[in-house]
Amino acid sequence: MRILIVEDDLEAADAMERGLTEAGNACTRAADGEEALSAARDGEFDVMIVDRMMPRMDGVTLVQILRREGDQTPVLFLSALGEVGDRVAGLEAGGDDYLVKPYAFAELIARVEALARRRETGSVQTLLRVGELEMDLIGRVVSRQGKAIDLQPREFQLLEFMMRHAGQSVTRTMLLEKVWEYHFDPQTNVIDVHISRLRSKIDRGFDRAMLQTVRGAGYRLDA
Amino acid sequence: MRLPRIFRTTPFRLTLLFLALFASAAGAFLAYVYVATAGEATRRTDQDITREMRSLAAVYDRAGVDAVNQSLIERAASERPFLYLLMGPDKRRISGSIEESPIETFDGRPTWTTFSVIDQDAQGRTVKHPARGLQEQLGGGPILFVGADVGEDEAYVVKIVRALWGAGALVIVLGLAGGVLVSRNVSRSMAGLTEVVDAVRNGDFGARAQVRGTRDEFDELSLGVNEMLDRLERSMAGHRHAGDAIAHDLRSPLTRLRARLEAAYLDVEAGKGDPNQALAQALEDTDGVLKTFGAVLSIARLQAAGAAPDPVLFDPAELAADIAELYAPLCEDKGIDFAAEYVRGLQLRGNREFLAQALANILDNAVKYTPPGGAIMLRVRRRSSGEIEYSVTDTGPGVPDEDRGRVIERFVRLENSRSQPGAGLGLSLVGAVAEAHGGRLELDEGPGKVDDVGPGLRVALILPRPG
Repeated sequence: MRILIVEDDLEAADAMERGLTEAGNACTRAADGEEALSAARDGEFDVMIVDRMMPRMDGVTLVQILRREGDQTPVLFLSALGEVGDRVAGLEAGGDDYLVKPYAFAELIARVEALARRRETGSVQTLLRVGELEMDLIGRVVSRQGKAIDLQPREFQLLEFMMRHAGQSVTRTMLLEKVWEYHFDPQTNVIDVHISRLRSKIDRGFDRAMLQTVRGAGYRLDA
Repeated sequence: MRLPRIFRTTPFRLTLLFLALFASAAGAFLAYVYVATAGEATRRTDQDITREMRSLAAVYDRAGVDAVNQSLIERAASERPFLYLLMGPDKRRISGSIEESPIETFDGRPTWTTFSVIDQDAQGRTVKHPARGLQEQLGGGPILFVGADVGEDEAYVVKIVRALWGAGALVIVLGLAGGVLVSRNVSRSMAGLTEVVDAVRNGDFGARAQVRGTRDEFDELSLGVNEMLDRLERSMAGHRHAGDAIAHDLRSPLTRLRARLEAAYLDVEAGKGDPNQALAQALEDTDGVLKTFGAVLSIARLQAAGAAPDPVLFDPAELAADIAELYAPLCEDKGIDFAAEYVRGLQLRGNREFLAQALANILDNAVKYTPPGGAIMLRVRRRSSGEIEYSVTDTGPGVPDEDRGRVIERFVRLENSRSQPGAGLGLSLVGAVAEAHGGRLELDEGPGKVDDVGPGLRVALILPRPG
């Protein structure tokens, strides 16, 4: 993936670049909004990681300009501002996701991958398939190896999210935000319980576990 | 030059203003009385003099200067004592009751004058009467002067005017004295407040204005100032406490983290041991610190804002159902019986996200302290007061009566729960959310002993009805 990192904190940008490069991505860096604007206009990127507060031109303005010019590259905002209002402002400016500093690197990678993937599957799908697992989005039916699996509505949403991001690590925070739409961290890990219920429904009785726990990151659905 | 304090006070300045207004009004009144009475007296005297002059002129026309002279002698003894002076065309005195005319320059045309007559009163004192006089040349011949006292009327007016002046002076003196008294009284009332303001400015937030119980506007102001200071003091104490608590809650995990990293570093340097485990543990510690930090920030922001941001109107039962759906599996896994009871169709105004987090924190707590085999009940109802109440009742050990207030305070964790995970911020955040919504948090005893555990805890989040 080609990733544009727009971050004025050089040390943070270094760490991000190193991690993302190790994960197999090509990174370009910009230290302020104006530099980022010309970089974005020149190159093709799969994802842009944009710090909200920067000298010369802030992240929100940058993304607004790009969107006006027709650039639809997915944008992940990074910000020290974590209030609901800040989040909404970022998303309204054209951001696709919002990550509050400080964050775990696994969280950043997971979100960047999710954004890039979303772009690839732009068309409206009615059937999701991951290996032996099939999900009919209209009939609300899930089956593995042709055997129907009975899911509660929330379990269905959870599995749909995992299938749309199959092969990628998905963090607990992402699940809480995208499936439940809550933006806070519960003290106890309620998400683990929901995942283990889902796991018992889709993996029990089959020779291979599809829903994997990724240490230090979250979960991954493998084909 | 600086005036003494009392003269700079607002009431005193108002007094001066009113006195000035009064003095102008009194002056205008005096002028009117004078014009109305004194003017009238002069006019009447003038009419009398004119009539006398016409009558004497008629005598002259009929019978000549000797007849006039004769007439003057007769008239001098009459009831109305006019003053006469008959002179020849050369202004030489012929006869009359006065020696010379008060009119010094006379060109032959009728001329009026105002002069004074010196007389002696009953006690023999010399008094001056104001008088009017008219001088005419009769038929081109002798010159006649006729004068008269303006009379008693004028003297009466003078008395009135003098009385009014006296009264005016008295009013001004009394007014000034009253102004000083009122100013001192008001100043004394204000002085208390000023002292409090000064004390607070100098850093003494414990200073309070005295309330005298008179229920006047100064009492109201004092009460308002005191309430404001109470709130400020609470908030500052909260912040100070938060600072200490942050230091405490972050220092211990950070110290642990540092020790772990140091140990791992030494191990690796000595060529023994795998740093992976230490690093993984360090990461976990860091996450804990960040979580605590996040919770502290949320509380601080809520308290700083003083109100819930972006409030919306929604059905409180829906929110409860959402959160119950998130927590029900957790309870089931732990062997806790979870039940929920909602009154639907109610309305609540608030920040959904914060209220969701508050409910989640209450449930987190309940799950944490309720042993397997216990029960948790989530309820939504409307109180008879119209307030919306979310309540969570568990069958855990509960919180002793005397500790319930402290539990809500920031960071306070009861000693026997130190072994449990969590930053001790759960209920503090719930309390901050309740306060930001104008609501409150209530802690009560639960259902009593269940399997030797009890008495349980009932946490109620009470929110005002949407206004």
